[in-house]
Amino acid sequence: MTKSTSLSSEQLWIEVLAEIKKQVSTANFLTLFKHTMLLSCEDNIATITTPSTMISDLLKKRFGKEIKTLIDAKTSGDVELLFITKPLDRQALSEEKSGPLFETESSGDKTNKLKSQPLAVGHLPRVRPEYTFSTFAVSGSNQLAFTAASTVSKHMGTYYNPLFIYGPVGVGKTHLMHAVANEVYQKSPDQKIIYITSEEFTNEVVDAIRTNSTANMKRRFRSASLLLIDDIQFIEGKEKVQEELFHTFNILIDNHAQICLSSDRPPHEIKKLEKRLSSRFAGGLTVDIEAPDVELKTAILQMKAEKFGHNLPTEVATMLAERVEDTRSLEGLLLRVITQASTTGSQITTELAQKALGIMKEERSSHIHAEDVIRTVCDYFGVKTTQIKGPKRDASLVKARQVAMYLLKEQLGLTFVEIGNLLGGRDHTTIMYGVEKMESLVENKAKITQDIMGITKSLRG
Amino acid sequence: MKITLLAESLQKKLSYLNHAISTRTDLPILLNILIETEASGIKLSATDLEIGIEITVPAEVVEEGSISVPARSFIELVNSLPNEKLTLFLDKNMLIVESKKTKSSFQTTPASDFPKLYEDKGAMIASVSFVGLKKDASIVVLSSSTDTGRPALSGVLFKKEDEGFLLVGTDGYRLSLKHHTVTGEGSGAKEEMSIIVPAKVVREVLSMKDENQIAIYLSRSSNQIIFEQKDVLLVGRLIEAEFPNYERIIPSDHNSKASFDREALLKAVKICSIFAREAANIITLSLKKDMILVSSQTPSLGENTVEVEAQLVGEENEIAFNARYLLEILSGLTQNEITLEMTGPLNPGVFKIKDDASFLHLIMPIRVQQ
Repeated sequence: MTKSTSLSSEQLWIEVLAEIKKQVSTANFLTLFKHTMLLSCEDNIATITTPSTMISDLLKKRFGKEIKTLIDAKTSGDVELLFITKPLDRQALSEEKSGPLFETESSGDKTNKLKSQPLAVGHLPRVRPEYTFSTFAVSGSNQLAFTAASTVSKHMGTYYNPLFIYGPVGVGKTHLMHAVANEVYQKSPDQKIIYITSEEFTNEVVDAIRTNSTANMKRRFRSASLLLIDDIQFIEGKEKVQEELFHTFNILIDNHAQICLSSDRPPHEIKKLEKRLSSRFAGGLTVDIEAPDVELKTAILQMKAEKFGHNLPTEVATMLAERVEDTRSLEGLLLRVITQASTTGSQITTELAQKALGIMKEERSSHIHAEDVIRTVCDYFGVKTTQIKGPKRDASLVKARQVAMYLLKEQLGLTFVEIGNLLGGRDHTTIMYGVEKMESLVENKAKITQDIMGITKSLRG
Repeated sequence: MKITLLAESLQKKLSYLNHAISTRTDLPILLNILIETEASGIKLSATDLEIGIEITVPAEVVEEGSISVPARSFIELVNSLPNEKLTLFLDKNMLIVESKKTKSSFQTTPASDFPKLYEDKGAMIASVSFVGLKKDASIVVLSSSTDTGRPALSGVLFKKEDEGFLLVGTDGYRLSLKHHTVTGEGSGAKEEMSIIVPAKVVREVLSMKDENQIAIYLSRSSNQIIFEQKDVLLVGRLIEAEFPNYERIIPSDHNSKASFDREALLKAVKICSIFAREAANIITLSLKKDMILVSSQTPSLGENTVEVEAQLVGEENEIAFNARYLLEILSGLTQNEITLEMTGPLNPGVFKIKDDASFLHLIMPIRVQQ
């Protein structure tokens, strides 16, 4: 609990946002707070910038009180909020690529890029040197975690201790943990940094007990100035390990050593974890990383492709990003596309990517049933399944029906005739028209695209 | 609040308002519309936080007031009523809509919960004809990217010129540039300016229903642009980014120049796209002495060629494009005498309208392996 007035406005805002995030849905949070900043907090006036008048006004009305209470609590003052509209701050976005039209005339020699950068001499055991802050793609879904982690690496043991990062698989928890370790190591290589997974930690504890060398192990962990434990949820139910961690934890915190933990869920949701531990885990800053949004996934894909020495056109990247949820499968998919492109000597095109995607879809979509799709669509649009299969053609029904057609085609690869039968015996030409219409809407990024993504998410989910 | 108005006058306007209603249900207030009384009518507003739309409808105001109601059901209800006199009034927090034979009541939300669309309009920078803007902006916005991850490319550049605006749109693979002349009263921008308007906002302007003159307002301080017709107002926020240096990539010279009929080439490309679909959508244009040979092939399917009459100045040449880009620009244009200028198969091809220096369209070719 750092109670200080010396918090910079940037850090103050991070803490405020972390609190607000607990109270509102992710979608809300992203829409309203994504590009906000606390410009200054002086003389009891907190100036908050937002990208538009509408958002300023909505924030003032909906969250004014909460924001004031939080800032007051953290600065022990009585602030007045001032919302101003300011152009978006684009610092967080990586430098913008304008596409092939704007690239200089150095065509042809892509092979140069294949040479990977030389690695820094020596790196930390178990820590991948290429996982740094600069190779981490930042967007709304992970900005908090990113800023928190980089703050921690700069001010070890002072601001957020422990830093607890949680989120689903493939969102970059491990990357951030490694980045903290790398950053600290780069700046002060003589610091004692221990990066370990909770499984390895468990093994060490067990080994130490078995060989009667617990003293050695204790000394090793308790002398660290930065301890990072990945996937901490695996110590669930392991009493002896938890006890060891508890003592190590206390000693490290007393020594002002920094602790970073990652997990797939927040501390209080880790079952069979002693109360005293879970309360300590939550005693610093707990941030979560959401599943990446499309922009972020697109950026990640392009960064990865560049690493492999390929230029991935944005339209291809966006298409892949829109259709695949998990970042790891995205990486696999990218590899497949790249391999295919380089073996056939062709360029990476949307068509090529679609083929690769088709193969993957066959591998994974078999567990979704047609009726699930229809039910999910109906739930989403608030219509009944009997209506969607019925003869009525109200605009709202038609929309839901066409979305269902599209998803049945796109996700399950059913034939037009099959889809027609599923949707109350409609003619296959009706289905063809519906699917084509949705395809062109999706291609043009019409509003409906968001709906479709939402539905796909809940289908998978 | 109590007002009376004709159902038809409301119905005409509601469909456009619908464009700004959010499809996302996580912020309930955005699924509402705001109804406010004015001196001689009512104002209805909707926003999805990206764009905001305000419409005014003539009405007889019996008692002033403002309220917000669920958009979808309100719009659906009004649209399904016959054209007769409607009375809207508040009764114990419910909005009652009454016509001769129907009576409906809606749950309401206080008007103060609804976000303000803008603080003030800002300075009026131009007044343009809707028809002229639509014609010019539609062939520019088609080149804009739909990828919001690259902000600068997802908008149209509006740059002040002596006689109007320069409009530029590009997605990094193609680029449209058009000098839009503004004539008559209130013509052109008065101050130096160069702004990027989101493609979405531009498309919404072009989809306005009436053909009235459009006034454009710009507010730098709140980073917003407003397009206003007589009783329709659209507000959007500007894109704050560096527009790519488009001047640098416009070729100053060419080796070959083919003049052809737009519709003939469009037809040829449509035919060839059948065979291009499976092969990365690549269509090859061979510029010959008195024709353009349009061809495409798919190893597993077959190939085809179409001849299009053309006059060539300069050397024979060959260039390959993505069929989609060709189709979009050829069907977007209205003029029929078009030229294609190029220097080689790896440099951008430039499409121009004959005897019209105010427009050009650039497409990045596809490198084809021989």
